[in-house]
Amino acid sequence: MTTAIGRPIDRVDGPAKVTGAGRYSADVPLPGLVHAVVVGSRIPAGRIISIDTRAAEQANGVLAVLTHLNLPKGGSVPPLVPSLAGAAATGQTFFPMQDEVIHYAGQHVAVVVAETLEQAEHAATLLRIDYAAAPFVTTVEQGREQAYEARRIFGGFLPGRVERGDVDAGLAEAAVTVDLGYRYAANHHNPIECSATTAVWQGDRLTVYDATQGPNATLHTLAELLNVMPSHIRVVTDFVGGSFGCKAMIWDHPALAALAARHVGRPVRLALSREQMFSSVGHREQQEQQLTLGADAQGRLTAVRHHKLSPTSHFDDWAEPSLGVASQLYACPNYQGVYRLIRANTMTPTFTRCPGEASGMFALETALDELAERLGLDPLEIRLRNYAETTPGDGTPWSSKKLRECYRRGAELAGWDRRDPRVGALRDGDTLLGWGMATSAYPCYQPGNPQRARARLYADGSAVVQASISDIGTGSATAMTQVAADGLGVQLERVRFQYGDSDLPNTAAAVGSAGAGMVSAAVHVATTALRDQLIAQALADPGSPLHGADPRQVTVAEGRMALRERPDVGETYAALLQRAFMADAEAVGTWNPPPDTSGGSMTFGAQFAQVAVDPDLGLVRVRRLIGVFDAGRILNRKTAHSQLMGGMIWGMSHALLEGTRMGPDGRWANASLGEYLVPVNADAPEVVVETVESTDTVVNPLGVKGVGEVGMVGTAAAIANAIHHATGKRLHRLPITIEDLL
Amino acid sequence: MMDFLTPVTWADALAVKADRPEAVPVAGGTDVMVELNFHRRRPAALLDLTRVPELAAWGRDGDVLRVGAGVSYTRLIEELGGLLPGLAAASRTVGSPQIRNRGTLGGNLGSASPAGDGHPPLLAAGAVVELASVRGTREVPVADFFTGPKRSVLAPDELIAAVLVAPADGPEQFAKIGTRNAMVIAVSSFALALHPGRRSVGTGIGSAAPTPRRAPEAEEFAAAHLPWDGPGPLDPDLARRFGELVSAAAAPIDDVRGTAAYRRHSLSVLARRTLTWAWEELCE
Repeated sequence: MTTAIGRPIDRVDGPAKVTGAGRYSADVPLPGLVHAVVVGSRIPAGRIISIDTRAAEQANGVLAVLTHLNLPKGGSVPPLVPSLAGAAATGQTFFPMQDEVIHYAGQHVAVVVAETLEQAEHAATLLRIDYAAAPFVTTVEQGREQAYEARRIFGGFLPGRVERGDVDAGLAEAAVTVDLGYRYAANHHNPIECSATTAVWQGDRLTVYDATQGPNATLHTLAELLNVMPSHIRVVTDFVGGSFGCKAMIWDHPALAALAARHVGRPVRLALSREQMFSSVGHREQQEQQLTLGADAQGRLTAVRHHKLSPTSHFDDWAEPSLGVASQLYACPNYQGVYRLIRANTMTPTFTRCPGEASGMFALETALDELAERLGLDPLEIRLRNYAETTPGDGTPWSSKKLRECYRRGAELAGWDRRDPRVGALRDGDTLLGWGMATSAYPCYQPGNPQRARARLYADGSAVVQASISDIGTGSATAMTQVAADGLGVQLERVRFQYGDSDLPNTAAAVGSAGAGMVSAAVHVATTALRDQLIAQALADPGSPLHGADPRQVTVAEGRMALRERPDVGETYAALLQRAFMADAEAVGTWNPPPDTSGGSMTFGAQFAQVAVDPDLGLVRVRRLIGVFDAGRILNRKTAHSQLMGGMIWGMSHALLEGTRMGPDGRWANASLGEYLVPVNADAPEVVVETVESTDTVVNPLGVKGVGEVGMVGTAAAIANAIHHATGKRLHRLPITIEDLL
Repeated sequence: MMDFLTPVTWADALAVKADRPEAVPVAGGTDVMVELNFHRRRPAALLDLTRVPELAAWGRDGDVLRVGAGVSYTRLIEELGGLLPGLAAASRTVGSPQIRNRGTLGGNLGSASPAGDGHPPLLAAGAVVELASVRGTREVPVADFFTGPKRSVLAPDELIAAVLVAPADGPEQFAKIGTRNAMVIAVSSFALALHPGRRSVGTGIGSAAPTPRRAPEAEEFAAAHLPWDGPGPLDPDLARRFGELVSAAAAPIDDVRGTAAYRRHSLSVLARRTLTWAWEELCE
């Protein structure tokens, strides 16, 4: 029976957050705590000739200055594997301060440890580092000539080239083609909480308070980097102030904090500054995409050719999978996708909300709009004509797909059919108005390892349910409380969900929009196992009114087991346990995820945007965003809709604001919240979010498809298409700037 | 080490500034603290002006208003919005509510940024800055106050005491272009004041020259050609020509927020629009 799942209840961690009681990883008070500050390289390539640490070492309060000359050596760098696999998950296969070579600007070259943060920051300014600079490449423009086709990307998980059918033949038979080049600025995540680690050793055992999307990812990565047994490491993550991918992989600062703590024999806190967040925890890479679409006279796609070019680091072949969803969404027999890379002097790029889906779908969904225009078709109609009833790759059925319902409802909310489709036809005074739409889709990724949770019911009927997952601000702790309450058949108020601790039952990292699905599965399995265990105990207990009953006839609600047909026959969990002199009962649940479902299972959506363009000034204001999504079962309508809304506003930001510029010196030129623009409240339009519930029996036991990222996919395209409707201008570069519209 | 000097009277503040001319005055700290936090400067001393009560006061002084340098943007909006609507409009575009609570009119002038939001309306209104030191007090028209980017005529021993400005005697307008809708440095901005009583027009250009500046030719053109006698709809050509003259008065550069060409172009639009709005307001 479902009573808690789906309800829009308030966040269980809300009061602690808004009152300041919540302790983030840089807030944990520890006796004897000292502070570490990392120092980044000023140059993007070359080597360190010398580091003079004397002045820093003699400064007040300084305990240690660690450089490549004296950093204690630990273990080895594990391979780059996405943290959803559940294992060690280093952000890049390079660990700094091992030698004098500089690979990218901001590369950590020293750690200064002092009694206070201010002393450490001051001492860091006293370091004298002489560099020998070398030529460098940091942008697509600089490295275009030396690009190569990647054999595999994304930690080796994806091939560098995907083909089906014959794309040349498909283009040859097309009645209409469009061939478009797209350019994208690099992006940074900018969560409000900068990454931070507090590390404390007790003998050879290490406790780490880390701002991470995966306490276990931090644990396993540290175990390898430090050569310490996993059993001797505990990672605690009580609160995370947003992440968006920059805490999905484990970068070098947690290990540096642990090494520094061991070196000085004191607990060490290492918090990155806002500026350091731009060169320490990855980014969405700058990229170019070339997209060629062919269609027959009815608008049915005959070919999709999609190539991407982007810089990666010198250590890893990383590209966000921009071609993935765009290759799977529409029924098209002939496809070719190719990733080309440039070795550049940046860190390894990483997951950034909608890693790839957002950029690839911007290309596909704006190109489809152009194709529709060429064919005289409505933008919605061309999408319906290419609707994939089964997966385009191998034709297997989708695990669930109510995209058609999303289109229909979104169009209804937008008044799509009533708009004047002619370019420049809609006006509000001198302001040009336009409507655009696009499809959203995000794959259902599966964790690589079994997901576990533990459920314990006390004799008074209250329950604790545990899993190691951290809540990065999405509301997962709240949703899991609801799942647990329904699984056990107890009231929501009687359940406490405990999370954010690697000592708790294993889960993979909360990444890839997979957290709610995979952890709800484990919590569901654990809590229903405990429920069934208690029912079995009652049926076997001669003292129970349910003694000898058919277990299939027993239901539980509000902590009371009863016969379905005779609700008066039953007893509470509490009565059962107390009679048996049991203080509690417990069960562990393990959910074994199905093999990768990302090809045939997606969260879908339809987005509609209304923009207002000031033609004299080139200013775009988004007036309205409408998103309707099929995300399977919704665990908490409030937090799920907040995720979707946040994603849509992020998509607007991707379209109009966000871009990290590479300076001529090979350093990010706008590494601050003053110059890297994210939207403010005054930029946020009216956002309408609806969900169309679908039943999905493939992805996980509760049919949860995930809402963390899909809201962003398609928003930028819908906005760009709306700008075209308003102005007639086709824009192929993100972010769109004022000058693009003059 | 850095000294933190905390005078509690205006006389003490001036004495301290005379004694420690290298001391950097700090009021709301919305500019100074950013510079300190980013290690862009490390002054030997900070001169805290928040405890000097005179600076936070405003009142009438004959025909003009005397607005203390320590009056915050929030107070400019809430207390002086009726008397100085142009300045209040500009103040509404400054930062966030928290920044507007802390940031002050005097601090804005002291920073002397070409992009300072408060400067164009002060220029348009013909305001005068009152500077003080132990040597005495002098009054400098805002138009003569700025000498370059982040530079002004302020002498090392001087502090900004107040701004002297006449209450609006006609419509005032302010318009600003930013790369987002709030918490943003202006790409360009423009302020306009109409003085129907004396048939004159004031202008102020922001973020489009080494200093905030007026557009004197545009002012003279508008004063000469606006139909003061028989207020009616504004001739679009007049508004357009006004915009061109304002644009011509700018001396913008390319930077990360916008190009010089866009700054010139946008100023012509902002000037045309603000003149149209102000004229409509006058005719109502």
